[in-house]
Amino acid sequence: MKTAVRKAAAFIITVLLVTLFVFIAFELIPGDAATAKLGTSATPEAYEALREELGLTRPFFVRYFSWLFSFFFGDMGTSYSYGVSVRSMLASKLPITLTLTLMSFVMIIILSIPIGVLSSKYEDRAGAKALDVLGQLTMSVPPFFLGILITYFFGMVLRLFTPGGFVSYDVNPVRFAAYLFFPSLAIALPKAAMSIKLLKTSILSERKLDYVRTAYSRGNSSMDVMYKHVLKNAIIPVITFLGMTLADIVAGSLVIEQVFSIPGYGRLLITSISNRDYPVVQAIIAIIAMLVIIINLIVDVLYQVMDPRLRGN
Amino acid sequence: MLDVTDLHIEIEDSLIPETVVYDFDLTVGAGEIVGIVGESGSGKSMSALAIAGLLSRRDMKKHGSITFEGNELLTMNRSMLRRIQGDDIAVVFQEPMTSLNPVKTIGWQVEEALRIHRDLSDEELKRAAVKMLDDVEIPDPEGCYHKYPHELSGGMRQRVMIAAALICDPKLLIADEPTTALDVTIQAQIIELLKKINREKGTAILFISHDLSLVRTLCSRVVVMNKGRIVESGPVEDVFAHPKEEYTRQLIGAIPKFEKIAGVTYHPDRKPILEVSHVSARYRKVTGYFRPNSKPKQVVSDVSFTMYEGEIMGLVGESGSGKTTLGKTILGMLDDTEGKIVHYSQMPQMIFQDPYGSLNPTKTVGRILEEPLRIKGGYTAAERLAMAKDMLGLVGLDETYLKRKPNALSGGQRQRVCIALALMLGPKLIIADEPVSALDVTVQEQVLNLLIKVNRELGVAILFISHDLKVVYELCSRMIVMKSGQIVEQGTDDEIYNNPRHPYTQQLLSSAGYVNR
Repeated sequence: MKTAVRKAAAFIITVLLVTLFVFIAFELIPGDAATAKLGTSATPEAYEALREELGLTRPFFVRYFSWLFSFFFGDMGTSYSYGVSVRSMLASKLPITLTLTLMSFVMIIILSIPIGVLSSKYEDRAGAKALDVLGQLTMSVPPFFLGILITYFFGMVLRLFTPGGFVSYDVNPVRFAAYLFFPSLAIALPKAAMSIKLLKTSILSERKLDYVRTAYSRGNSSMDVMYKHVLKNAIIPVITFLGMTLADIVAGSLVIEQVFSIPGYGRLLITSISNRDYPVVQAIIAIIAMLVIIINLIVDVLYQVMDPRLRGN
Repeated sequence: MLDVTDLHIEIEDSLIPETVVYDFDLTVGAGEIVGIVGESGSGKSMSALAIAGLLSRRDMKKHGSITFEGNELLTMNRSMLRRIQGDDIAVVFQEPMTSLNPVKTIGWQVEEALRIHRDLSDEELKRAAVKMLDDVEIPDPEGCYHKYPHELSGGMRQRVMIAAALICDPKLLIADEPTTALDVTIQAQIIELLKKINREKGTAILFISHDLSLVRTLCSRVVVMNKGRIVESGPVEDVFAHPKEEYTRQLIGAIPKFEKIAGVTYHPDRKPILEVSHVSARYRKVTGYFRPNSKPKQVVSDVSFTMYEGEIMGLVGESGSGKTTLGKTILGMLDDTEGKIVHYSQMPQMIFQDPYGSLNPTKTVGRILEEPLRIKGGYTAAERLAMAKDMLGLVGLDETYLKRKPNALSGGQRQRVCIALALMLGPKLIIADEPVSALDVTVQEQVLNLLIKVNRELGVAILFISHDLKVVYELCSRMIVMKSGQIVEQGTDDEIYNNPRHPYTQQLLSSAGYVNR
């Protein structure tokens, strides 16, 4: 119970700080929503009038707290540049970014656990070594460049998908998922390579520990030793990594959305920043911050499930 | 039942194959307890692991023959071997802390061999496991069943290991240094337990140990090993009473036997060098940024004693008694302390238990020895070098060691370097925290002699922290006995050993096998 209260407090403080920083950042960079909307040729009178209308003349903290207050009750305000409710804008795009994130995360897990286990089992074989090199290569390529390569290879050469031919989930869910497959792959591959390497190292060092010898002494086969003893121990450090990765994917997907022309949060965020459309920017950043914190909470809980030594206290 | 003939074990490490066991012969009859004795690197654990089929077949080449009830284990295929492992042959390992899987419950691990080798329902498994836990005298076996290894003490974990090994009622139990990591009182209990198992279930035991006195109390026959070869073997009493080989004699001679090393006496008329009055120490466990301190744990409470110039005083206690914490408190290494500590000389220096972890592996011995001088300042490079060289000479290492790095040294040599390091600034008091417990008996004896030499030639007083009453008896003229953070008794060696007043001291002495004289 105490833990829950502490976690909730940490959650609220983090969201407060993150949104406050975004507000401050917007104060510091030149230009505001009015200049963005009117352009540089507008008269000072028109400019001031628009500022008044948008509420930009109010003092900094008044603006921040009024935003915060309405956000708390689910009102994210109205977009300066589009004039529609931010909430409806974001709600329609949420499934896109969420699908992209989850799809790539699932890919990371599906790729890394079996490959990690196998490559630790056959660490001396040529295949495992070749895989190491391949992993090293994949890790060092930035996801957006991998995205470009994938677009070229799977889109233009093999024609497995049409680059730029995004289909929304409400039009055709199957083609929507099919289109997101390759962008997800671009996000997942470098992370999967890291997590394979991490899992492999972790398994190799766990295998040297005394309890493994004990397990063999009771007549376990090497497969049982791996699945009943080693894996659960070896996966604990990987969970930390996967948690951080999930948070990283949420942010990383913004770039990939650009490369694959996916109208998710990423593209919206970038246009909104250049339009100085802070209701939108604030809302997206607050949502991402909350997602990251929730993910961390889940990781904490998972940790305690996996490792009895962390329970209690 | 078990017959090993002409066993050779060769490690096929990348380039140079190295033979670690030669011409090893052993027989263990049903219900017999046989001991294998030797120092580290003697090949005793290797031989035992080979018998248990736990040496990798790829990296370890084995020749000869190991037959168990007529079946050749060395050439048997793996799936056949697995049917014997855990069922007919079970193993208990040295480190109860790490030999259990940390993320599985005790119950799951105790049942494991049964689950593999028999076809039982979950309920039957649980009943058998709880009964087994009860048999190894674990209080509240039902509650223990659901616990995890980290929730148990070392002694309890070793009982769990034994329960897990015995669950299938094996014919042979291989116990590889099962009591080495445990306190003396716990050690005595585990030995009793092994005897009881042997008596009641008729389980044959192959007991591997570096501790000759333990082997003597437990085993009927013994095999003495050195550098991969069997030196001598035979009935225990024959080997102990009439050792035929020089090495066996050496080994028996090096056992601490409650004999004073000549010349260490107590001087009541000397000046005090350290006064500790009403000292308490607590540890706070940091749990998180919102709760920096949960309950502070009292580790040392209200301890008072005085040390005099040039004496060697023993500080005895089992793990968790607070003896190391008291040492750290005297050195001012802890924050949360109470009471008064008066030093009548410069700050004492400390020697730690683990000579492997105490020296920075990337620095040369010379550099390590010079470091305190460099920090203190005021010495030229030539002076520092000369002092380091002299100090090495004192601890019995020549100047070629200045250029070596710690991992090129043996355990005993490292501990000599640690002693030299503690002496570099010329302290009048050294706190030695279990300085010999990580060392083999023969090396242990050499290091103890060195400490006595340091005490006599330099007049350095030593606070000797140890769990080993024999070693303390050899060295110390006065001693303190600690339990649960408190001093239960302090006095001269004669008072403590021959007239122990506190029941805990009496229990310690009887576990250590001290006979009043």
